[in-house]
Amino acid sequence: MRRMMVIVLVSLALVFTFTCTAWAKEIKIGVILPLSGSLAPTGKSLKEGADLAADIINGKYPDINISIAQWEGIPSLGGAKIKLVYADHRADPGWGADQAKRLIKDEKVSGLFGCYNSAVTKTVSVEAERAGIPFVNPDSTSPALTKRGLTWFWRVTPHETWFTADLFNFLDGLSQGKARGVRAVPKDEIDTLAVAAENTEWGAASLKEIEGFAAKHGYKIVESFKYPHKAADLSSEARRMIASKADCYLFAPYVADAILFIRTLKEMRAAPKLIWGQDSGFIESDFSKTLGAAVNGILTRDLFSAELGKVKPAAAKINTMYKERTGYDFSGSSARDFIGIQVWAHALNSAGSTDPEAIRKALNELYIGPEQLIMPWKGVRFGSPFPGDTQQNELGSGVINQYQGWPDGKLHVVYPFEFSTADLIYPFPGWK
Amino acid sequence: MELAVQLIVFGTLMGLVFAFISLGLSLIFGVMNIVNFAHGEFLMVGMYVALLTSTYLPLDPLVSLPFAGAVGFLLGVLSYRFLIQYILRGPMVAQLFGTFGLMLFLRYLVMFIFGPDVRSLSHGLIVGKSVSLGYVTIDVSKIVGAVLCLILFAVVYWMINKTRLGRALRATSLDPEAARYMGIDTEKMNALAWGIGGATVGIAGGLLAHFYYITPTIGMVFIMIAFATVALGGFGSISGAFLAGLIIGLIQVVGGQYLSELKFTFIYLTYFLAVVFRPRGLFGW
Repeated sequence: MRRMMVIVLVSLALVFTFTCTAWAKEIKIGVILPLSGSLAPTGKSLKEGADLAADIINGKYPDINISIAQWEGIPSLGGAKIKLVYADHRADPGWGADQAKRLIKDEKVSGLFGCYNSAVTKTVSVEAERAGIPFVNPDSTSPALTKRGLTWFWRVTPHETWFTADLFNFLDGLSQGKARGVRAVPKDEIDTLAVAAENTEWGAASLKEIEGFAAKHGYKIVESFKYPHKAADLSSEARRMIASKADCYLFAPYVADAILFIRTLKEMRAAPKLIWGQDSGFIESDFSKTLGAAVNGILTRDLFSAELGKVKPAAAKINTMYKERTGYDFSGSSARDFIGIQVWAHALNSAGSTDPEAIRKALNELYIGPEQLIMPWKGVRFGSPFPGDTQQNELGSGVINQYQGWPDGKLHVVYPFEFSTADLIYPFPGWK
Repeated sequence: MELAVQLIVFGTLMGLVFAFISLGLSLIFGVMNIVNFAHGEFLMVGMYVALLTSTYLPLDPLVSLPFAGAVGFLLGVLSYRFLIQYILRGPMVAQLFGTFGLMLFLRYLVMFIFGPDVRSLSHGLIVGKSVSLGYVTIDVSKIVGAVLCLILFAVVYWMINKTRLGRALRATSLDPEAARYMGIDTEKMNALAWGIGGATVGIAGGLLAHFYYITPTIGMVFIMIAFATVALGGFGSISGAFLAGLIIGLIQVVGGQYLSELKFTFIYLTYFLAVVFRPRGLFGW
């Protein structure tokens, strides 16, 4: 009899356990990334960022002081776990769209996520719109993506227009005495600009953005030109910048030209007050490895720095977890994919359902505070920060980093000013 | 005045670099009537030799130049012995695709061994040094490059025109069959032309590494300019390559000053005009 009772109790316990497990179901999110081809290394790091976010949401990490680390799944959905279903878009917009259809129809995903390449994000967002499935984009920066009036597409990352706006806000702040460790610099000391952009679609767009913001903020462009990508020689271009006597040199090149420009300027002993690079060539490790100490004092726009851990403890802990798994720090791209999955989790929790309409409403009403994020943003809230934008996060921002103490130094955040991790080196120290 | 002096100095120095790179290409074409698409990769190998010898041996990168020349010579001779002499028996298109294949092979072999990273020389007697002369501040390594270019051009010119070996090379170039009847080992002459071509561009690469970044795809940056230089100067003409290098150096510097995005257009326009009005180039046969 007693034996019988034990068997019945064990059976009931097992039934109860299985019932609870079935209730705490999985929520599938389709993640479309460049996982093969020349962008495979980038795709790998994006996946690592998204995976870490999903693991933190699904597990419990009491020592990390952000809400998703305490959830163990999505609280309003009975602790349902997030499952990321990956697809490789091979940097091919057509293939990406096919993958989106497959994930929606065969995998029955609750929503989509990705795709890094703006061209792929464009075609995938059209599929999401057709199917009425939410698509959260964490990492594509073409401004046009949020200017199409789509109703099932939300972008978390700031776009290119933002990054140029950051530069001019930085220059304004410098003359207002906001930069850490530097007195207020009279505006007429930094108000003339020389701009060199490579002759590609990206370079031309960067140059146009800089011209627009310069006019709006009251800066004079005294020299600007486009030059051929991968040039054999840039001595006359460097000469033009020096001859312009501009206070600030601004660049939009890929890495090979960035190296050649800085080398040539060094050789000619140029002495501007500031040198700033539009991300890309200026943040690649080859840039600092090749130029060594010559990079000291150069500014570059970026999205993340491991040094942010000094001012954002959660960023330090999560970056340490990421580094333990991967062997390297978060990049601006992988950190954005981390936040993108975080956005998905908050939206699902607010919606309390996987119904697309409920998620759409939740995303449109979403607010995530700055204390929840590993990036130096004011938060996440979708709106229209620039003319024509819809469902674009309006609280994001880039960062401006400065090379300090190379070849053994670090990239320090100098903008946004409230997140500065070191005193700004101003003026540019020059090359001895 | 200041602008004119700066442009002439920068243009002349870069022009001599272009001429230096084009010398071997012109020589190989002159002797064998074959266009070496892998010439840019020979240059790249010379740059890597300078990088490796100065990194792993206690030598100044300047001392690595003879090594770069020796490796370039060996590469040229081996390319001839194991590839070119066979594809010469095929149609012209096989020759074109043969050296194109060699280009891809060398580029991706180096990429496989060293990775796609961009590198540079970090130390050296003349690395990163510059001097101010009047209106201009110039990289010392470019001055050394210009001097070395002049010396090598003079040596190659003297060898081709004044020595027995040079006469044999010219004879092979003009009429291989007749040269064979006269007892000249034309196979050896062909291999020698590839060897000298490889050696000169290897040295140019070793020198270029002093002021340029190093990457497996660097050949692409210079090969089109080298083709334009050789075509403008006249295929096979040593003095033509020298003069055309200077012209192209000046054009690209003046173009960069006034219409930077079109500076290569100006170079190829000059080449186009030369082809239309003087198809054999400035000094071609």
